[in-house]
Amino acid sequence: MPNTPDDDTSAADPSLPAAVPSGGLSREPAAGVGGTLGGGLDSGLGAGLTATLGQGSGLTAQGVHRSFGSVRALAGVDLEAHAGAVTALVGPNGSGKTTLLLIFAGLLVPDAGQVRVGGVDPVTHHQAARARTGWMPDVFGTWDSLTAREVLLTFAAAYRLTRERAEARTTELLETVHLTEFADLPASVLSRGQKQRLGLARALVHDPDVLLLDEPASGLDPRSRVDLRILLRLLASQGKTVLVSSHVLTELDEMADDAIFLSGGRTVPAGTVATAQAAPRTWRLRALSLAALVGWLTTVGATWLPDDERDPAARGTGPGDPPDGPGGVLLQVDGEAGAATLLRDAVAAGVPITSLAPVGGALEQAYLALEEERR
Amino acid sequence: MSTDLSTPVAPAPEPDPTPSGIAPERGTWALSWHGVRTVAVLDLRQRVRSTRWMAALVVWFVVVGAVTWLTWVATDAAFGSSRDYGSTSSQVGPTIAGPAGPTVFGLIVFFVLFLGLLVSPTLSATAINGDRNAGTLATLQVTLLTPAEIAVGKLGASWVAALAFLVVSVPFLILALTAGGTPVLSVVVCLLVLALLLAVVCAIGLGFSALTARTSGSAVLTYVTVAGLSVISPMVFGLTVPAITTAEPVRVWNVPADFDWYAGEPPTCELTTQSMTRTHTERTWWLLAVNPFVIVADAAPGARSGTSGSGFDVLGGIRELVRDARTGPPTEINYCEGRFGTGGADSPVAQREPDRSVVWPWGLAVNLLLGAAGLATAVRRLTIPQRTLPRGTRVA
Repeated sequence: MPNTPDDDTSAADPSLPAAVPSGGLSREPAAGVGGTLGGGLDSGLGAGLTATLGQGSGLTAQGVHRSFGSVRALAGVDLEAHAGAVTALVGPNGSGKTTLLLIFAGLLVPDAGQVRVGGVDPVTHHQAARARTGWMPDVFGTWDSLTAREVLLTFAAAYRLTRERAEARTTELLETVHLTEFADLPASVLSRGQKQRLGLARALVHDPDVLLLDEPASGLDPRSRVDLRILLRLLASQGKTVLVSSHVLTELDEMADDAIFLSGGRTVPAGTVATAQAAPRTWRLRALSLAALVGWLTTVGATWLPDDERDPAARGTGPGDPPDGPGGVLLQVDGEAGAATLLRDAVAAGVPITSLAPVGGALEQAYLALEEERR
Repeated sequence: MSTDLSTPVAPAPEPDPTPSGIAPERGTWALSWHGVRTVAVLDLRQRVRSTRWMAALVVWFVVVGAVTWLTWVATDAAFGSSRDYGSTSSQVGPTIAGPAGPTVFGLIVFFVLFLGLLVSPTLSATAINGDRNAGTLATLQVTLLTPAEIAVGKLGASWVAALAFLVVSVPFLILALTAGGTPVLSVVVCLLVLALLLAVVCAIGLGFSALTARTSGSAVLTYVTVAGLSVISPMVFGLTVPAITTAEPVRVWNVPADFDWYAGEPPTCELTTQSMTRTHTERTWWLLAVNPFVIVADAAPGARSGTSGSGFDVLGGIRELVRDARTGPPTEINYCEGRFGTGGADSPVAQREPDRSVVWPWGLAVNLLLGAAGLATAVRRLTIPQRTLPRGTRVA
């Protein structure tokens, strides 16, 4: 590392000799891997500065392995979740999502590898790490006899909030998750979705920098899902790191800035994900007149498939003689730029287009593409 | 690590300095009243509201009351009222000094202890694995509570619950006091020792609940341990009697076998060595000492003799028994003592006083150590992050 001060030390005491940052970094050779907001700041001084400046320095994992007996739950996880962003943790059942979150939450020690939560190692400085981590497990048990308010007040006390702060925070959070009217009812009368929301409020009670959510949307009604999405976006905009695990991809698609794919206990390399996301995707193009649409597509020489899923009437009809009427086709389009070109050309050619949209979410497409690759 | 910013020296030696602005780490064993109370209140609320708590206390009150009444009537009939046979058994009340006070008191104390030993394991033996199965433990572990705070808080909650049963029994102990013969101090001492013993049982249950994945497993193990202390240990004591019984030569100071009793002279005693069967209970007395019933009996102040009633002092009897057991058989016996005018003055056999020193501190110490082991196990098993998971358990 050259002796020029890098950006995160520039705010520090200018009298610091150059040996400090370079010495700090040399202790952790892989710290520069990410080179992003938090990734490079793990060592010594950097972590301290970001912590005091109130910038969450995100979540990082490097070469994390974890086995339970003969079962290898994690076999090499490298990831980075940035502060101020919602990161999706995607993977099939048993891919190690929950285990990874347990390690981040400070409940499990990794067999090998390094983990940082907001710049702090949860293994060596577990209290400091726990103070800034909010974790919501996939199986959320409730104290059935306690009211929602009592649950939150208890956890505020467990996080050493003062009484007044705890009261204020509890009222605020009950409002946030729309449980105010159930505040003084025992948790046993809450529905599954309401308990889930209470679990989310519980994870937020100490205003953590890092939020780890394991399947947060399971059991939520559509309204609550939208609320959850808005809440997570809001938290991310406040500079918090949000890591959401799920296997319901459409729900992640709407809120995540970034996605990390886990498969067989390994993170899929970022390049692969990018390739998968950039690969031609299937779009659905609909027009008022299917005949006009198909006719135009044939003249420009595009390959297309009948939209079986939506338009059973189109099934079995050859390209030569389609019945007229509203209808759609499926096309492989090269990214959003390709879609724009397609739409412009079609409209220019006078085809009465009604809609053009990708089939399935981006994450779903990427996920399926990766699954395909794995086989 | 605030020093890092102020002193321009090489970085601190530890590989990952704590970022500044964070309170220093509190260790696994760090305890604060705030943390313990938070956990205890959480557990008590959950317990008090989820179980038929009042019903249990009422049942307890009725059962202890019934046993008190039966004991009172029975001892009254058996030993009481030497002055006026036949009439007092129908009149029950503190005004009659008939029933043997120490007997009633001792039996009630034992019954309360017996019930307490039955109930306490259910209060604590599911405290940790039950929470783990319900999915509520891990969320508590990831807070800033230390493992010791969680363990001690849970122990406190189950102990308070056990003490509630004890408090309900207090009226009957006081009632037994009115029968006379028992010093007031006895009630205080017995309650204190009972409370400590129940705390021990709660701590043992807590330890097992941290060790086993299933709640039924920990409950059974706790009951087995309690039975081992209270039932099996006296049984083992009894069963080892043949093993510690030997025929030994004993020096006996006695009137000679060929002494002519019709000679009219006072006999002169002589020392002989006889082979006698001796049971060396001084080797196995500790089996009795660890017994909760023995601990209570030995700790209770002795009954006032001759004040009222002629009944059998249960606690005092056990106290004598266990202290004699600890003393063991004498190696010399003086049969001449005080007979036929032959005083013990010229006896070569030393006057032997049985060991009257207390036994209960030993027993109580053993019990408290068991409880401490249970608590330590719980703290160890609650410590996160975990490296190895106990078989059959999940983190969350």
